[in-house]
Amino acid sequence: MVRAMLTPEEIQILATSLGVAGRAVLFSMPVAIAFAWALSRPKFPGKWIVDAVAHLPLVLPPVLVGYFLLLLFGVRGPFGSWLREAFGIQLAFTAEGAALATAVMAFPLMVRAIRLSFEATDRGLFEAAAVLRAGPWDRFWSMALPLAWPGVLAGAVTAFAAGLGEFGAVITFASNVEGQTQTLPLAIYSALQVPDGEETALRLAAISMTAAVTGLVLAELLQHWARRRLEA
Amino acid sequence: MSLKLTEAVVRRGAFRLAADFEIPTDGISVVFGPSGAGKSMLLAMIAGLHRLETGRVVFNGAVLEDAGARTRVGAHARGIGLVFQDARLFPHRTVRGNIAYAERRLPAARNAQIVVEIARRLEIEQLLDRPVRNLSGGERSRVALARAIVSAPEMLLLDEPFAALDGRRRRAFVTLLRDLSREQSLPMMIVTHQVEEAAELADHVVAVKAGRVIGSGAAADVMRRADFAELLDRRDAGARVDAKAVAGGQGGGVWVRADSVLLAAEEPRGISARNVWRGRVAAIVREADGAVLVSLDTDAGYISSRITPEALSDLRLEEGSTAWAVVKSHAL
Repeated sequence: MVRAMLTPEEIQILATSLGVAGRAVLFSMPVAIAFAWALSRPKFPGKWIVDAVAHLPLVLPPVLVGYFLLLLFGVRGPFGSWLREAFGIQLAFTAEGAALATAVMAFPLMVRAIRLSFEATDRGLFEAAAVLRAGPWDRFWSMALPLAWPGVLAGAVTAFAAGLGEFGAVITFASNVEGQTQTLPLAIYSALQVPDGEETALRLAAISMTAAVTGLVLAELLQHWARRRLEA
Repeated sequence: MSLKLTEAVVRRGAFRLAADFEIPTDGISVVFGPSGAGKSMLLAMIAGLHRLETGRVVFNGAVLEDAGARTRVGAHARGIGLVFQDARLFPHRTVRGNIAYAERRLPAARNAQIVVEIARRLEIEQLLDRPVRNLSGGERSRVALARAIVSAPEMLLLDEPFAALDGRRRRAFVTLLRDLSREQSLPMMIVTHQVEEAAELADHVVAVKAGRVIGSGAAADVMRRADFAELLDRRDAGARVDAKAVAGGQGGGVWVRADSVLLAAEEPRGISARNVWRGRVAAIVREADGAVLVSLDTDAGYISSRITPEALSDLRLEEGSTAWAVVKSHAL
């Protein structure tokens, strides 16, 4: 059915977008969980720094985030050159780079959703686990994470949906390479640059909207499920 | 073998709890005091859920926490179980999953059969595969108790375990706890503000008032003290009588309320009451509202009776005179 409705180019663009957003979520999830856990804890020294770092991509212009990534992970950047020499990995101007840029941009959304889920968990349950001989790590894996799991999932879906639409950071860091880093918004932008590209742009916009709305609905359903599950 | 708290202090917001006492870790100790005295906090302090500001906690010879030496054994490594008043069952697990959580964390591998055995003992077998959110208050209490017992603690702390239960189930649960403590040789420390439960369960009593442990020791001694009497509501005033001295008495002791005791100046004959004790008037105290509290020193121990001033003058009682205390079994 998808094949009948979409052209091969559109399928390619959609696949690139899904791949980039999917990898972005996978990259940022563990880090987001760690940040969310730290931020859900009572006050600790340096908490405001962690908080600021987690929210930075939300307030910086996306182009700036892409530029910073270029400075750090570009071919001549400190991390970029090291990755290339040690592992032969290049991030700038590749699909992996697009995923990294998307991951950084979607990071605050993910942290927020997971943090809310951690904060909504009854602390008393951790105490109950502790007196049943569960140590701190054990409590994290057996209590905190399973109880926050629906929130983690909802955060991932929100981040994924938002990731499908990431533009500024991706085009700055990974450029707009057809079949590699050209995601939906980048393809729409390209289509608008050529004469008679309006129809192509509209079709891509419809695909983009459908994907984003599907993601949002999914996230909402997961949140709902989460709330019901946590009501003991 | 004892639990010893030395000048132990914890603080939570504006509330401060100070404890300095030692009780043997055998049988059942009851933590008694009015609401808001700090009883739950005392349990949390012993279990290791609140960090000590000062002082130390020593359990059966092992230092669990010493604020001065900065030693602290985490709650998970103390071997002290705690049943919370609100049960705190894990919502993402079934009843069986809740109990298995404890079983999987036992230091030495134990027979999985224990879950089934404890479940049978606590009559929750038919609940094992249910999610915990549909359980009644009484069922939650029993599941929480099962979970705690399966974790095989060296001592079990219970915070108001009877709060969610109605009268009949409450009686059954009191008996169950007493039996379990004996069968499993599991010392328990039970928080209650019901003086009847305290009298029935306690081998030892820790009395708490306004953030301070004001007394501890054998139930028979502590519950006779004047500062213990001050912890009670007016209607709870009375005396602990050894269960053996009471017709049909169960447990360690029975609380005989002053309001349910009749006094007679001569030996009563041909009456239905099963409990008649002869004694000597030890004290006569006039209460603020005019009622009179008369304490008799009897073979069963001290018994007090609340009577009107008119009754006192009719009976011509004074300190040293002989009188009989009469109590219906159903009043106990």
